[in-house]
Amino acid sequence: MDNLSEQFSQIYDQYIDKIYRFVYLKVDSQETAEDITSKVFLRGWEAFQSPNSEVKNPGAFLYQIARNAVVDHYRGKGRTKLVSVDASPEIVDPGTTAQDKAILSADINIVRKAIQKLENKDHQDIIIWHYLEDMPVASIAELLNKPEGTVRVMLHRGLKDLRNIIQES
Amino acid sequence: MTKLNQEQLIGSLKQLKEIKPRKEWAVLLKSQILAKKETKVVLAPTKEISFMDVVSSLFFQKKLAYSFAVVFFFVLGAFGFIGYAMPGDLLFPVKRIAEQSQAALTGSSGLGQDIVVFNNRINDLAQVAKDGRKDNMSPAINEVKAAAKSLKDDPTKNPRTLKDIASGLKTLADVPGTDLATNPDIKDLYQTVVQGQLADLHKTTLTDDQRNILTEIENLCDQGKYADALEKILLINK
Repeated sequence: MDNLSEQFSQIYDQYIDKIYRFVYLKVDSQETAEDITSKVFLRGWEAFQSPNSEVKNPGAFLYQIARNAVVDHYRGKGRTKLVSVDASPEIVDPGTTAQDKAILSADINIVRKAIQKLENKDHQDIIIWHYLEDMPVASIAELLNKPEGTVRVMLHRGLKDLRNIIQES
Repeated sequence: MTKLNQEQLIGSLKQLKEIKPRKEWAVLLKSQILAKKETKVVLAPTKEISFMDVVSSLFFQKKLAYSFAVVFFFVLGAFGFIGYAMPGDLLFPVKRIAEQSQAALTGSSGLGQDIVVFNNRINDLAQVAKDGRKDNMSPAINEVKAAAKSLKDDPTKNPRTLKDIASGLKTLADVPGTDLATNPDIKDLYQTVVQGQLADLHKTTLTDDQRNILTEIENLCDQGKYADALEKILLINK
């Protein structure tokens, strides 16, 4: 394995879960999520090899590709959702008892469905990045090319909307 | 989860970290991606295409370059031939147009240009006579007559232009095999030139020898021998 492949291999290992999760929460289909994630890393690898491009922040770069890929997915297919959120597979933590698993899985699915119901997609992205991926507000602001204050407001509003959706469900 | 505070909500959100891709799929994808080496052709940075880029790209196309070279040499050769074209030749009208174009470009016109044309036609006639080109002789003589006619009809003649015409007539007189001195137009031209030169000579101070020659010239004019008179005028002017 040459130096370039080794570098990208490390980036892949670091971001494959994050990118897959980010995509999965938006498309809510394992098959579609895998398909889009494949494209994201393939484009990332092509860009990484290109002598004309310089990838300074691989994470931001991959997230940006992922965002665009999801948008392209919905735009190209002329749809908003591929599979109903109710038809998606359950998420199970292997370290709990069967009863706990059932309760936990139910709670997580409620939150997941609520995220997907968020109308503002920027709010969706910010909540995922900040609470699931532990990304600082400053990094999100840089990624979205928005002031930090704006991101904080969006995060606050996103959480509020999310809570309302959950309470209404 | 109907009653949910912010901390509980954030806690629930963090549990979504458990969403992970299938391990076998992730490993397979990684190996597939890394196996794909860059095979795309890297294009050079694009730039604005200017008019000159299009022209130069066309110019450096082999076929076009060859065609251009053929046309270029053909035109060059044609212009070379035009210079040697004599009255009666196929290319002579082109030579005449080229002379007119050259005159237009240099701003020459009127009597000066007529004298140039007259001398050119005399030179053509001299060349035709020298080369012994019998077929061209008659057209060359006609051309000289036509040039002489346009000169004869021009009223604005001064001693300097008359000298130029006289010089041409001298060349004409030396061309063998032609008897243009008897041609009415040429004869009139001789007369105009000689009379003009005589008037000029009368205004200048002459030596005794020159005065004697002037008398001879006047006698020749009285006899209508203007060609001979011109020869003597040129002798005085030497």
